[in-house]
Amino acid sequence: MVDVGLVVANLVYGLLIGIIYGIATVGLNMIFGVLKIVNVGHGAFIMVGAYVTLLLFTLAGVTPPLTIVASMAVGIGLGLLFYYLVIKYLVDAPELATLLATFAIGVLLQEIVKAFMGADSRGFTWNLGNIEIAGVSVALSKVIAAILSIALLGFLYLVIYRTKLGLAIRAVVQDKEGAMVVGVDVDRIYAISFALGIMVTVASGSILAMYLQSGIHPYMGEIYTLKGFVIAVMAGLGSIPGAFIAGILFGLFENLSYVALQSIEGIQPLVLTRSIAFLLLLIILLVKPSGLFQR
Amino acid sequence: MEELLRVEGLESGYGEMQVLWGVSLKVQRGSLVVILGPNGAGKTTTLRSIMGIIRPWRGSITFDGEDVTKLPPHKKVPRGLVLVPEGRHLFPDLTVEENLLMGAYTRVGKEDLSDTLELVYSLFPRLKERRSQKAGTMSGGEQQMLAIGRALMAKPKLLMLDEPSQGLAPKIVGDILETLVRLREEQGLTILLVEQNIAQSLKIADYAYVLEQGRVVLEGTSSELLEKEDLVKAYLGI
Ligand SMILES: Nc1ncnc2c1ncn2[C@@H]1O[C@H](COP(=O)(O)OP(=O)(O)O)[C@@H](O)[C@H]1O
Ligand SMILES: [Mg+2]
Repeated sequence: MVDVGLVVANLVYGLLIGIIYGIATVGLNMIFGVLKIVNVGHGAFIMVGAYVTLLLFTLAGVTPPLTIVASMAVGIGLGLLFYYLVIKYLVDAPELATLLATFAIGVLLQEIVKAFMGADSRGFTWNLGNIEIAGVSVALSKVIAAILSIALLGFLYLVIYRTKLGLAIRAVVQDKEGAMVVGVDVDRIYAISFALGIMVTVASGSILAMYLQSGIHPYMGEIYTLKGFVIAVMAGLGSIPGAFIAGILFGLFENLSYVALQSIEGIQPLVLTRSIAFLLLLIILLVKPSGLFQR
Repeated sequence: MEELLRVEGLESGYGEMQVLWGVSLKVQRGSLVVILGPNGAGKTTTLRSIMGIIRPWRGSITFDGEDVTKLPPHKKVPRGLVLVPEGRHLFPDLTVEENLLMGAYTRVGKEDLSDTLELVYSLFPRLKERRSQKAGTMSGGEQQMLAIGRALMAKPKLLMLDEPSQGLAPKIVGDILETLVRLREEQGLTILLVEQNIAQSLKIADYAYVLEQGRVVLEGTSSELLEKEDLVKAYLGI
C-alpha cells in the first residue's frame, strides 16, 4: 500500500531539491544557449561554490546565504579567466574540442581543490530549526536555499530581459551576424555570458551546500553534471526558464520514483533512483530529442 | 567630390579558399555606387570584408580618411560604416522597435535616439504601426524595411546594402530603391549597393563596378555602362 504521508513528504522534498536542481542547471543552459558549447566541467563549478560556502562558514563564520555573494564573485572571475584563456579560441572549433576543453577544466578544478583540501567528504551544521509545509516538517535552511534559488533566477531574468546587455545577449543568440553588423562586440558578449553562466553555477553550489550541509568533496559535482545534462535535455538545451522548470520536474520525479521503488521488495530504492534518471534521459532523447519545452 | 571609401587590392576568402583577388573600388561622398555581378562573384564577400565580418587577407580599406582595414565591425559601426547584410539577419524574436534600438546599439546611452527613430518611422510608416510586433512575424518586404531602418539607426555615413531586393515582389523592390534615392537626396547619405538587377540599379546609381570571380572586370559611370549593356549582360551571364 502507498503511504499518503510518505508521498506528500516526497512531493515537498522533491519540489525543494527540484528548485535547487533547476538553478544548478540554468548556468549550463545559458552557456549552451549563447555560446553553443556544452560545459562538461559544469559540476566542478558547483563543487567550487560548495567549498566557498563551507570555508567561509566554518573558517570565518559567514552566514551561508551571504556566501552566495562571494560565490558569484568567484564565478565571474573563473568564468572570465577560462573564457579568455581557453573558450575564446574554441567557440568556433569543432564540438569535440570544446567538450574536451571543458572536461579538462573540470578535472583541473577538482584536482586543484583536492590538492588544497584533500579528498575527504566534509560538511557543516547550520541549523535554523524546522517549519511545516503541507504538514511536512522541513529544515528552514532548505527552504531558504530554495528561496535563494528563485531570487538568483529572478536576478538573471532581470539582467537578460531588462537591461541593454541582456538585449545584446538575446540579439547574439537570435542572429550572430545580425549582432555583428549593428556593432555588438560578440566576443565580449560571449565572455560576459560565459561569466554569468559560471556565476550562477558556482552560486548554485553554495545553495546546494546550504541545502545538503554534507557530502562536500572534490568530486561531488560529477553527479550534478550528469543530472544537469538530463535536466537540460528535458528542457531543451539553451532554454533558461525551461531548465528551471525541468529541474523542478526532475526533483519531483526522482523523489516520487523513490516512493514507488520502495514499495517493491528486495531492491535498494536509493541506488535505483539514481539510474532511473538516466532511463528518463534515454526516453526523452528517443521521444522528443529537442526537449519538452522547445518549440 | 571627396572620397568616403577607398578599397585597394582587397583579397579575402574562407578558410583556405581565396574568393577575392585584388578588388579595388572607390565611393565618393554623397554618391550612389552599385556593384553588379553574377552569383558567386564575391559581392557579399567584398561587403563582409569591408565591414570586417571576415578578415581581409591583403589590401587596404580607407574610410573617411582613416585606415580601417583591420578594425572589427563594432569599431566600424560607430565611425558610420554600416551594412544591411544579405538575408537581412534581423532578430526574429525581438520586436520591431527592439530591432531598431539594437541598430543604435553603439549609440544607446550616449545620444538621443528619438530623432533617428522618428526619421525611420517617417520613411517606413509600416514599421511604426508594427513596432511591438516580433520581427520574425513580418512579411519579406517589411523585414527588408526593418533591416534598412535598423541600419539607419546607427546614423551611417556610408550605407552598404547587399541585395536588398532579393526575393521581393517587383513593386516592393521599386519602393525600396526609391527610398534609397530619397535617403541620398534628402539626407545626403552615401550608398554602396550590391544588386543583380542591372536596369533598375543602373538607373539610380552614379557609378558601377562589375565583379566576376573575385575581380573587378568592368567599371564606369552608369551611362557608360548602359551604353555597354551587352557587355555587362555577358559578364552577368544573362
Ligand atoms: N561562408 C562561406 N564559407 C565558404 N565559402 C563561402 C562562404 N560564403 C561564400 N562562399 C563562397 O565564396 C564565393 C563568393 O561568394 P559570395 O561572396 O557570397 O558571392 P555573391 O555575393 O557575389 O553571390 C562563392 O564561391 C561561395 O561559394
Ligand atoms: Mg551575395
